[in-house]
Parts: sequence; C-alpha cells; structure tokens
Amino acid sequence: MNRNFSFDCIGYALFALLLLVVVPWGLGFDGFELNTFARYLTLGMVAMALALSWGCAGILNLGQAATFGLGAYIMAMHLKLKASVNMPDGMPDFMGWTNVESLPWFWEPFHSLPVTIAAGLLVPAAVAAVMGIFMFRGRITGVFVAIITLAFLVAIQLVFVEEQRYTGGENGLTGLAPLELFGWTADNYSLSFYYFVAGCLICALVLALALVRSKVGLVLRAIKENPDRVRFFGYDVARYETLAFCASAAIAGWAGMLYVLVLEFASPTYMGVPFSLAIVIWCAVGGRDSLVAAALGGIIVNMLEGRLSDLFVDGWTLFLGMLFILVVLVMPRGLFGVFHGALARVIAFYRQARLERRESLAISRSVVSGTHDKGGR
Amino acid sequence: MDVFFNQAFAGLSMASILLMVALGLAIIYGAMGVINLAHGEFVMLGAYSAWLLQSYLGLGILASLPLIFLMVGLIGLAVERGVVRWLYHRPLDTILATWGIGIVLQQLVRMGVGSDSRYVARPTILDGNVAIGGVVMSNYRIFLVFFSLSVLAATWYLLTRTEFGTKLRAVIQNKEISECYGIRTDRIYALAFAYGAGLAGIAGALVTPLVSVTPGMGTYLVVDAFLVVIVGGVGSLLGTAVASGLVGEATALFSFLMNDTLGRVAVLLAIIMLIRFKPQGLFPDKVRR
Amino acid sequence: MKRRDFLKGVTATGAVGVAGFPGIWIKRQGAWAANGEIPVGVLFSLTGAVAVVESTLHDACMMAIEEINDNGGIHGMRLKPHVEDPASDPATFADRARRLVIRDRCVSVFGSYTSASRQAVLPVVEGRNNLYWYPTLYEGRECSRNVMYGGAVPNQQQQEFVPWLAENFGGRFYLIGNNYVYPREENNVCKIILDRIGGEPVHEEYVPMGHSDFSSVINRIRREQPDVIFCTLVGDSDVAFQRQFHAAGFDPDQLPVASLTRSEVEVKAIGGEAAAGHFSSAPYFMGHQSGENERFVEAYLRKYGQDQVTHFVSEAAYFQVYQFKAALEKLDPADITPEAIRDASVGLSITAPQGEVLIDENLHTHLWPKVAQWQSNGQAEVVLQSEERMAPEPYWAYEGQSCTGEGLVRG
Repeated sequence: MNRNFSFDCIGYALFALLLLVVVPWGLGFDGFELNTFARYLTLGMVAMALALSWGCAGILNLGQAATFGLGAYIMAMHLKLKASVNMPDGMPDFMGWTNVESLPWFWEPFHSLPVTIAAGLLVPAAVAAVMGIFMFRGRITGVFVAIITLAFLVAIQLVFVEEQRYTGGENGLTGLAPLELFGWTADNYSLSFYYFVAGCLICALVLALALVRSKVGLVLRAIKENPDRVRFFGYDVARYETLAFCASAAIAGWAGMLYVLVLEFASPTYMGVPFSLAIVIWCAVGGRDSLVAAALGGIIVNMLEGRLSDLFVDGWTLFLGMLFILVVLVMPRGLFGVFHGALARVIAFYRQARLERRESLAISRSVVSGTHDKGGR
Repeated sequence: MDVFFNQAFAGLSMASILLMVALGLAIIYGAMGVINLAHGEFVMLGAYSAWLLQSYLGLGILASLPLIFLMVGLIGLAVERGVVRWLYHRPLDTILATWGIGIVLQQLVRMGVGSDSRYVARPTILDGNVAIGGVVMSNYRIFLVFFSLSVLAATWYLLTRTEFGTKLRAVIQNKEISECYGIRTDRIYALAFAYGAGLAGIAGALVTPLVSVTPGMGTYLVVDAFLVVIVGGVGSLLGTAVASGLVGEATALFSFLMNDTLGRVAVLLAIIMLIRFKPQGLFPDKVRR
Repeated sequence: MKRRDFLKGVTATGAVGVAGFPGIWIKRQGAWAANGEIPVGVLFSLTGAVAVVESTLHDACMMAIEEINDNGGIHGMRLKPHVEDPASDPATFADRARRLVIRDRCVSVFGSYTSASRQAVLPVVEGRNNLYWYPTLYEGRECSRNVMYGGAVPNQQQQEFVPWLAENFGGRFYLIGNNYVYPREENNVCKIILDRIGGEPVHEEYVPMGHSDFSSVINRIRREQPDVIFCTLVGDSDVAFQRQFHAAGFDPDQLPVASLTRSEVEVKAIGGEAAAGHFSSAPYFMGHQSGENERFVEAYLRKYGQDQVTHFVSEAAYFQVYQFKAALEKLDPADITPEAIRDASVGLSITAPQGEVLIDENLHTHLWPKVAQWQSNGQAEVVLQSEERMAPEPYWAYEGQSCTGEGLVRG
C-alpha cells in the first residue's frame, strides 16, 4: 500500500513535470502548438474523469460526453452573453433570428462569471446525481448502466439540437468573447493560457487522487470487486457509486469549460456518441486503473491522431481503428497495465536478486562460520 | 381514423427494419455477451454488397439476398475469428474492439468504393401501393413487414429445431459442460456470429431502396437496435420482436403527436425507464445461467 | 521572456529525452508567399457524414489548383495545397483550420460545406485575419470580413423560385427541412415571400440530421394536402425522403418537391426515376450550356471518372480558386497578404461555368439564379432562367440591416 502510494506520487510528479516544463519547452513556446496541446490536455482531463467512475468504481459511463458538453455549453453561454453586450437587450444574435422575445430566465445567471464556474461544475454533478440515484438505487450494474447512459446521451443531444432558440442548435454557440478572470484575459495561443489549462488538469488530478486515496475510494474499489459483500458490511453502495459518478461528472464539466476556451465555440457534437465512445477508448488505451494513465491515454491518442492525420490524410482513421483493436487485444489494461506489469517484473527480479544475494551471503557466511567452527575444533 | 391507421402502419414498417437489424444483434449478444458496435457496419456492408451485385452482375435485390447473406456472413466470420473470439471473457472490452472494427470497415469501404452515396434500384415488382379506404400502404413496406416476420420464424426454427440450435442453446446455458459433451464451442460461437452478421447484411440490402447508401449509414442504426435487444430481454427472440414493435409504434405515435425529434427523445426516455425497472427485459430468460 | 529563459535553464538537463519529442517545430516567419510557392489550405471532409458532398468539393478545388499550376501558376509561383481531412466534425475543423492558418501559414483556406463547420473555422480566420473561401449556399445573415462567400444566399435562391412555384402549382406550401440553421432561415424567408404573394405555409417541420425514416412525414403530407413541398433536407435525409416519397406514389405534376439543396449528387443517389419531375433552384446545373461549363465538366469527368457529376457547390469550389488567382494577379508578389487578397478581389469579375460572376463589396457573389426540373436521366432541365445577375443580400429578411464593405450596418 505504502509503496504503491509512493509510486503514485512519483508518477504524478513526473506527469506534472511533463506538463509544466517538458511540453512547453519541447514545443518551443509556439502559440499554435501550445493551443493544440492545451486541447489534448482538456481531452486527457475528461478521460481521467471517466477513469474515476469506470476504473475506480467499475461504472462504465458511455454518456460521459453529456456532462462534458453541459460544462462546455455553460461556459459558452457566459462568453456569448459577454460578446452580445452591444446587441439589443444584450440578447445573443441567434435568439434574435429565431424570434425569441427576451433573454430566457435560465440564461440570466450566466452574466456572472462566479455563477458560471460554479454551475459548470455543479450542474453536471447534479445531473449525474439524479442519474446515479435513479440507476444505482435500482441496483443497475454493468452493461445496463452503459446502455442507460448511452440512451441518455442521445436524448440530451437531440434536445440541444432541437431547442435551437436557446442553444444555437446544430451550429452550437459561436462568436464568443474571450474569458476574463481576475483581470487576466485568456488568449488561447499564449503560454499563460497553456499553464492555466495544465494547472487545472493537475488540480483536478490531485482532487481526484484525494478521493481515490480516501476511505471512500477504498469502499469504491471494494464495490467494484463485489458489491454484495460491501452491502452486507452495511455500506450504502448506491450512495458511494453516486458519489463517484458525480465527482466524475464535475471533472468532465470542468474539462468541457476549458475545451470551449481552447476551441472558442461550443457544439452539440461535444455530446455526440462518437465523441463519448472516443473518451472510453482514450481511457482504455491509457489504462483505466490509474487516473494519471487515463489522462495520458487521452493526450497520447489525440497526439497520435494529430500526427497520423498529418502523415496520412487519406487513411488516418483506418490506423486509428486498428490501434483500438490492437490495444484491446494486446493490452487489456492499457499502457498502464503494460508499464505496471513491466515494473512488477523488474521489482520481482531485483527482490529475487537481493534475496539470492542475501542467501548466498548467508551461505557463504555459514560456510565461513562453518570453517571457523571447524577450525575451532 | 385513417390518420391513425396510416401512422400505425408507419410504425409497423419502422419496426420491421428495426427487427431485422436487431435480430442479428440479439443472437450475437444473447449467445456470446458480445456488444457488437460494428453491427451497423455489417448492415452497411450488406447495402454495399447489394450495390456491387446490382452494378456488376445485374442482380436485383431480392435475387441477391442469399449471396449477400453469405458474403456478409463470411466477413462476420473473419471478424469473429480475427478479433472477437479473444474477448469472450471480457464483454465490456468488446464495445471498444467492435467500435474499432466499425471504423476500419467504414474506412476500407470508403477507400475501396469512394465516399459518395450509391444508388440501388428497388425491385419493380413491389412498386405501387395498396389503398384500403384512406389508408395507403406501400407494397415494398408491406413486403418488409412480412419478410422480417419470416426471418424471425426462420431464426426461431434454426434455434429450436435444428442440431446447431440445440448446441447453441446448450453452449449459452453452460459452456464448460457443453464442451464435456463434445460440442466444439468455438465453432458454434463463430457460426452464430456469422449468422448474426449475415442477418444484418440482409437488413442492409433491404433498406437500400428507402435510404441513402453511404459508408456511415449503419452508425445511426446500431444504437437503436441495441436498445431494442436490451428492452426485449437477453436471448429472447420473442422479446426482440415485441420490443421492435413497441419501439416502432411508439416512435410513430410520439412523432405524430409532437415531431420526429421529440418523438425520438420520448422513446429514448421510455426505454431508459424500462431498462431501469425491468433490466432483465420484457421477456426475461427463465433459464438459470 | 525571463520566465522562458528560466524554464530553459531548468529543463536543459532533460534535453536528451526531449529530442525525440514530436513537437519540435521550426518557426517560419516572413513573407506569405516565398520560394516560388503560395501556400493555400484545402479543408474538406474526406471521411465522416458529409464526406459524400465535401469530397466532391475537394476534387473540384484540387482540379482548379492543378490547372493553375499546369498553366504556369500565378506570377510564376506555384500554388502549394495543404490538404487536411476534418472528418465532418466541427471540433476537428477548428483544429485543422488552426494548422493551416497558423502552422502552415496559408494565405487562404478553401473549405467546408455545413454551416456548423464554417462557424467552427470562423474564430480562427477572424482572429488571425486570414481569408476563408466558402463555396456553399448558406443561410445568409453573416457578414464576416474574412470569409469569401461563393454560394447563393436566400434571396438569390428564392426571390424568383417561390412566386413561380405558387403561380404554377398553388400557394399552399409544406415546409420540411433538417433541424439546423440553414433550413430554418430559408423557411423564414420563404414564409415572408409567401406572405407577400398571398400564399400559406400549411405545415413546417424539422427532422434531425441524418434522419432516414419519413413515413410519419409522408402521412402528414397526405393529410395536409399541400400544393408544393418546399424541401431543405440535406444529404442522406434528402435521398431517403425522396425515395420514400416516390415509393408512396405521389405524382410530381400534382405535388412537386421544390428543393434548395438538391443537386446532381443527391439525384444520383436518389435515382433519376424517383427524382424526375421535381424542381431545384440553384445558380448552376451540370447541363448548363456554355463553353466554360463544357470545359469544366469534361475536365472533371476525365479526371475523376465518367460516373461522376458536377453540381452547384463543386462549381463554386472550382471558380473560387480562379477568383483567388485573379485577385493575386492584381497584386505585387511581395504584397501578398490575406487582407490584400480580399481587397483586390472586391469588384472582381470572372467567367465561371454558370456565367460571369462578380464579387460584391460585402464579399458575397453575384450569381445567375436558375430553376430546373429533374429528368429521369439524372440531369436538370432549366425551366426558369433569371434575366439578370442577382445581387447577394445576406440580410434580405431583416429590415434595417445590411451587409456592406464596412461590415454589418444597422439602421
């Protein structure tokens, strides 16, 4: 346990070092590359959020994109209102086109940035709470959770596309103002913006780690192994599962807010089935058993996708599909599993070696002492 | 009243397409627990096979159905032997692998045939409509309803009255003990997968007169078909049939009362409710596993 | 830049490990066009849902680029196309547009079909003051100074079309479209025109993108008994709708489908027989009689196969490259910047396959609207040809707003 924890710490420190120092330096502080990498980081963040529910508690959420998209739309609503101050009534342009009379009440609170940020975390969490209570009280598990979340995702995306008057429909929310935070204006091609995103990711990781390392995390892992036994011990399994589900949703919402800042628009495709399944795949590639590995998975797959689409304009999706198949076949626990296995082997080897050395020392000592004894006779 | 019957027939026709897609999926999921997200791509391959046979051999859709069943079934067999058989003990991982297979199949078709939409002629003997009072039914859609029911019947016969079916049911109930009795489970699995894929291929060929044939055409179908399978209950053919009927009719009803988008949302929410309160499906498998 | 030096100091030790990192790029600065090459971006989806149409736009655009290069380029410089595949996904569009504009320093980007993808690219081209050549017909009410709009806006498609339909078939219109901005806006315009000429929209409805079962819609059409179906369905939905509509046994002489989006591509997939007798409004059809068009169609079919078709968006994707060339020829090679290209292209007139087209100061294009009836061989026969070229008015439906050379003007 303790050794695991220290390994984790080393892993997290290396990850932070990678994000904060190696990446910006390696990218040569180029605005475009920093922006592209900031995008990868937000996607890594949502993969990490999924690992929190899937890897930790065994809840496979195929609708992770729904909470991600909610966060994205909430941030976009704030920025859209800021961009529309000069419009009549401060109403976003698309509402005028769709004959909306006045700004709807649920847009009003998003004039305020603190409310927006709080909502970006709490609304996804609240939606997840409702879903969680609904599912886990009924002891729904495994593939049924996956199907329910998937159906929910499709439904929520349809609603967002349908309600064009309030959500911008298929085009999403575009023409956004830049974010202003404590007098700092986010320029999404700047180094400071990159550090902002990287800082958020590391922050979220630390918080998620704190949850996993707490007693709650322990119970969750027990639930993943055998929910019935945990129930017999008197734990309220549904409550713990809902908690993990909510935490995962809040982080996904957070990532969604950042994603809007990076790309400067919100689109209903952020809530699409392909995107949602992609999140699952990033998480699987990195390794769902470790939060940091899942985040890395998100970053690596997207980086690879970027490189592949640069090299093979025609067939890059083919390579991507093959990669998924290979990962599932060859590395069932992702890169983390491979790494972990290798590490365990190295440690076992050293321990064996040390043991042998100790034994051989002991033998030689006994031999020495034996001769001594003999000599003593 | 005519409107009601027209709409009821529309629902029936949607249900028949859904049933053909879902049947294959139900067998694959019911028998092996494999969540086959590449199923939509098998449908797409069926549609492209129909196009291929029509434009190079001049075969009509109906005449080429057996060939299409074989072609797509063989592809399914290859997919099972190549990838899926390694994943039987990891059902959730099949979601990822089959999604990858779907991407690969789509891209292969796109590279081989091109990404433009293909035209497949409809069978001319089924042109025209049957009108009973104000109720107008397209002959082709009537044909689809009956065809899907006969596919259902054939599948039922295969599963309950043939040696293969008996073996498959034995394997589903207890794989280890079936092996003790000398049943080659891997062969049974492979054949079941190929059969499911072949059914998807037929479904794909039969929808070509109604939709646009593109490499991405299957993606929309697979989620709905999967919901149908879950709602119907794992391993229950009757359940799948009833669930397709329910979903088709409910979609028709809701989209008549509201519009197509909100109709779909309402159906999805109803499905979520059903799964929550009846996770074993409408017709749960009574056999203990 | 002190922090930067500090960071470099800290990480100098890690240099060996970083050398293999794929992110070490050489920064390119200086002139936009150098080394005898003019970099341009080509941003059409080759995969995903809209690849059906966008891949043909890609082909037409690439053909124009190759033709220009084969004929000596521009100022003796070759056009260097940077091709990206945004996979029909807006987020990927945004990412690839950044690559083209910022990393590859293209002077212009040619791209996209859907409104959503244009909107995704806008922040990048506006933020970097680049130029985006958008060949598609669209919903109007946009007035960016960084987009060259090559397709028709609602007034160019409907001003003659709707009154003509009402006169010949009756004024009861059934409006159906996919659920997004373009159909809704076109229908707004249609309703305004119908209101003026005394017509009536009997029903208006929208189905999700990619929707493929129209039995409910057809039942509603049966019940409402309209005179005209005014259709703004796109791509797969249009194909599915028309095939099912035809199978349901409607007679095009009694109840025609009047589409703003249906081109030769969709008709090829629908099948000529099922599309025959229905109408489309567009500035270009493949069968258009002109020397320029014969050259275009012949070259296109020779290059991409005899079974291919040209259509009103691929025509714009093609002639926009020539507009770009004409603008560049007006400039000194040393002065080539996206802004200079934009300013040089205003008022520019070239001979496109559809006829003489002119770029307005609001960066939209003056086009030749036509109404055509589809024939069973998959080609369109023009039944109504606008007598004069029609000016683009992107804010036609919005009184007191107009798009000018200074951007959007209210009041």
